[in-house]
Amino acid sequence: MLVRPRLNDAKIIGLYTGKIIIGVGLLMLLPLATALVFGDWRAAVDFLVGIGACFAFGLAMEVLCRTRRDMSWSHGLVVASFSWLVAMALGAIPHWLSGHFGSYLDAMFDVMSGYTTTGMFLLQDLDHVSHGVNMWRHLLTFAGGQGIIVIALTFLFRGTAGAYKVYVGEGKDERLLPNVIQTARAIWLVSLTYLVVGTLALWATALWLGQGPVRGFLHALWIFMAAWSTGGFAPQSYNTMYYHSLVYEVISVVIFVIGSFNFALHWAVWTGDKSEIRRNIEVMSFTVTLTITLLVSTVGLMQLNVYPDVMALFRKMFYQVASGHTTTGFMTIYSRTFVRQWGTLAMLGVTVAMAIGASACSTAGGFKGIRMGLIFKALMQDVRRMISPESARVTEKWHHITTRVLDDSAVRAAMLIVISYVGLYSFGALVGVYYGYDAVQALFDAVSAGSNTGLSCGVASPAMPAPMKVVYIFEMWAGRLEFMSLFALGGYLIAMVRGR
Amino acid sequence: MQWSVDVSGTHSANSVLLAGGLCLILLTLSVPMLPATAQGQTPGQPLPVNPDYAFPNRETPPGVDVNSASLVENANLWNGHTVSFKGETIGEALIKGNMAWIHVNDDPYMEKSAAAAGTLSGYNSGHAIWLPADSARKIGVFGDYRHQGDIVKVSGVFNAACPEHGGDMDIHATSLTILRSGHSIEHPVSANRGLAAVGLFVLAGGLYGVRRRTKLMGL
Repeated sequence: MLVRPRLNDAKIIGLYTGKIIIGVGLLMLLPLATALVFGDWRAAVDFLVGIGACFAFGLAMEVLCRTRRDMSWSHGLVVASFSWLVAMALGAIPHWLSGHFGSYLDAMFDVMSGYTTTGMFLLQDLDHVSHGVNMWRHLLTFAGGQGIIVIALTFLFRGTAGAYKVYVGEGKDERLLPNVIQTARAIWLVSLTYLVVGTLALWATALWLGQGPVRGFLHALWIFMAAWSTGGFAPQSYNTMYYHSLVYEVISVVIFVIGSFNFALHWAVWTGDKSEIRRNIEVMSFTVTLTITLLVSTVGLMQLNVYPDVMALFRKMFYQVASGHTTTGFMTIYSRTFVRQWGTLAMLGVTVAMAIGASACSTAGGFKGIRMGLIFKALMQDVRRMISPESARVTEKWHHITTRVLDDSAVRAAMLIVISYVGLYSFGALVGVYYGYDAVQALFDAVSAGSNTGLSCGVASPAMPAPMKVVYIFEMWAGRLEFMSLFALGGYLIAMVRGR
Repeated sequence: MQWSVDVSGTHSANSVLLAGGLCLILLTLSVPMLPATAQGQTPGQPLPVNPDYAFPNRETPPGVDVNSASLVENANLWNGHTVSFKGETIGEALIKGNMAWIHVNDDPYMEKSAAAAGTLSGYNSGHAIWLPADSARKIGVFGDYRHQGDIVKVSGVFNAACPEHGGDMDIHATSLTILRSGHSIEHPVSANRGLAAVGLFVLAGGLYGVRRRTKLMGL
């Protein structure tokens, strides 16, 4: 029997959503400061409107939804999914006011793309955008990568009782430290350390390439934010092709590959357990699937003789495939080059790479390496069972921080999520085909949205039909939250209507 | 008799590493199998022409005007042709020794940026140009939020996948002409938006006061 949610349930959800939206308002202070530093007064006023709206909404929720009731698991899941939608709607205010979006829906698309570290964008005339808006775009993706909830946990939540439940609802379930708020802060410690090192490396390269110190610094900071969070936004419409530099590409690859690793793996290495890198199932899985997708794309490009020499082929192919596999979305080719030069086989290689994605509990999307590893091991276990005597006891172990015996429940959970992703990708692709796009291209962009990658072959654009934009927003949101929070929100809405 | 096939995590990791290693060996072995055209000669013409965009034929003269979309859509056909390309210089010149990279956009925003014009016409589009640093230094204004960049005309050889630049799609310019100088762009502040911001902050302040009072009262 469905139980209709009570007023107190709504109050809990409203209260925590309000806190998270105040966090979004606080985040806007940085682009506001950027706009003020560069004297972009119009952009500054736009951010003041956005901050005011976030604070007013958040505080109104806190006033209207005061409650002392504890949060349950289902509340945590609903808060995680619902707060992302509200954060999208309010975070889009400065974007919409900037005058670079065709509709409010387009502005919300970009905000969801940022929060979910996807990197697709509908912003028009990017090359004339203000530093403040660019800071907001990249901060969105950096903050989204850490998890909006993590930010709120770090700065705004006093107790830990409900905090962990919201944290899990956002698709993260690793506890690096006993206390979830300490875990959230540990994630920040790791990320900010890499931020300093990565930005300095990119800045030095930018100066060597001939960029001025200020623009070079801003570009370095933004590219780091987008790479580390596997976001894929860039400050120029040419994306990372703008720099025409192998060194810049190598640094960005290192950052986005490291950024795509599990936070638990980062923490293990951070605390001295370097052997975890070669034992971890996700690293192994990533190595194998990356190699396979690289091979597929290489064969595709070889068939069509796209590049003039082996080095050029490897450089272009590796960058796009690695960017796709880590679900980053940086590109050193034009979107339409996928269609007009790379061809179907190479595109399918990238599509598979995007679909698989990188590590769980990271900024990356897709099936995740851990699930691929578990399913592969389950397959191997079954094959061994088949070729072993009936009386044989076949066990399989897997290693992620600790070594565990493979059990059916873990495989079932992995399969459930993978099947959900396949359904999500298929849905997006079918909608694309319905609107007249070529099937391979529709699949490419649908997988890119659902896996939070951001590579595009030209389907995603301001000109695409509004329902497709809504579907892509849904794909980004569902893919990032890994479905459980969504199911909880759906269940909550059904219970409101049909519960007793 | 009971068989126990107990596979430890380390063993599995080794087998996975072995699989990865095999794939890498395959990748390396595949390199000599690359067709001659992929090893330093003219790229082939594998995909059909896109008739919606301009493409060259035998009568196409060198230096013909072409736009960025046509170059991308029919890249293989335009490869190696001398073309002329007009647009707004954006960003900055990335000068490396005697040569430099610039980026020239030929989209509708080359005349007026989105914020200045108040109209939108899709994404930016343009091309990367490789040219002598001295030519790049002639450019006075590059387009950004505060500036409309110089409008230039570039002539040069188009490369669908440049062998000199790691497979980048680019134009190696032989000449650059500045057609029109750039200028700064005004971004006036809207009074209505300022008022909206003040109103929202007053509302937020009031709500903050209410929240504090209810907390003090222990509600």
